[in-house]
Amino acid sequence: MKILIVDDFSTMRRIIKNLLRDLGFTNTAEADDGTSALPMLENGQFDFVITDWNMPGMTGIDLLKAIRADDRLKSLPILMVTAEAKRDQIIAAAQAGVNGYVVKPFTAAALQEKIEKIFERIDAQ
Amino acid sequence: MGEIQKNNDHARYAESLRASSPELVQCLQAGDMDGAIAILQQVNLAREQTLYQEVGRLTRALHNALKDFHLEIGLDGRLDVNNELSEMVDARSRLNYVIEMTEEAANTTMDNVDSASPRVQRLIERCDQVQEIWAKERAGADDEEYNAVSRLLDMISSESKHVQQHLQNILLAQGFQDLSGQVIRRVINLVRDVEESLIRLVKLASEVEQVAGIQSVILTEANQKETSVSEEGPYVKGVSRGDVVNDQDDVDELLSSLGF
Repeated sequence: MKILIVDDFSTMRRIIKNLLRDLGFTNTAEADDGTSALPMLENGQFDFVITDWNMPGMTGIDLLKAIRADDRLKSLPILMVTAEAKRDQIIAAAQAGVNGYVVKPFTAAALQEKIEKIFERIDAQ
Repeated sequence: MGEIQKNNDHARYAESLRASSPELVQCLQAGDMDGAIAILQQVNLAREQTLYQEVGRLTRALHNALKDFHLEIGLDGRLDVNNELSEMVDARSRLNYVIEMTEEAANTTMDNVDSASPRVQRLIERCDQVQEIWAKERAGADDEEYNAVSRLLDMISSESKHVQQHLQNILLAQGFQDLSGQVIRRVINLVRDVEESLIRLVKLASEVEQVAGIQSVILTEANQKETSVSEEGPYVKGVSRGDVVNDQDDVDELLSSLGF
């Protein structure tokens, strides 16, 4: 399981990386916005993306749309972990095809639950 | 321009029109259209001069305000920082400094968590091994020594697991750096925007012939306000931002109502 963590704050990337490691996911890579994430996804055989929303350059919602519009990447599961908490935004992310949505600040249990739920769904399909 | 100012202008305009009216009527009755136009033009000119004076006063006030921030507008309209103590520039660098310092502090904390975490993990694993050996070696024993060591091993195991949980909480708490950093970045942008707006305003005010353009500039900017879903940054308590979810449960509820 190879996971890409996209967030402009290195602190948050490190937190998510450590939590994933505790959950047994040790194969992770990092990108600081959508612009640097996309080429990594195209070349990197990733299985899962965890992305922030608000980033300079390409935002998380644009990254989500770009992934869904790309034939090779469109089925990639995406979890959004963000401080953006408006209903409109959550609905917009859902409509763009996000697989899960976690608001910051979050607990380790919430992150774990969402990740497990996403993979349960994928396995069920 | 305020409502009072507008009323004052109106009153002044009415007053000068009234003062010129006998002369104007005289010209009109005499059929002297050129004379009447000249009088009307004079009245209008007087009104425009008041406006120019007002703009001039505003320009000086703005220049003084900028000087207080130790900023000056160059001939090309660009901002010159003629003092390293420029408070606006200083405000931005101070805020950036806060982001850097909190990032450093968060990383130091996480370095310590990273160093402590595997040690606690080893402690738990080693304790489990010893517990197993101890139970096997002394199977059936029920003396004081056996019970004391067993209790100690149990305690080490359960306390270590608590410490592990606390370490994870400490790690998660470092998310404050991301959340506070996002808010600070927005304030930095705000300061920059205010600074740029002030410069634009001073330029505009100092070029009196562009006065009529003020309104169109403001209108265009208002029109450019994004209507699509844009980033808001973290929710700040006490800052009303409309329809914001309260917690993860709200998010889950909303998503499940959308068929998730």
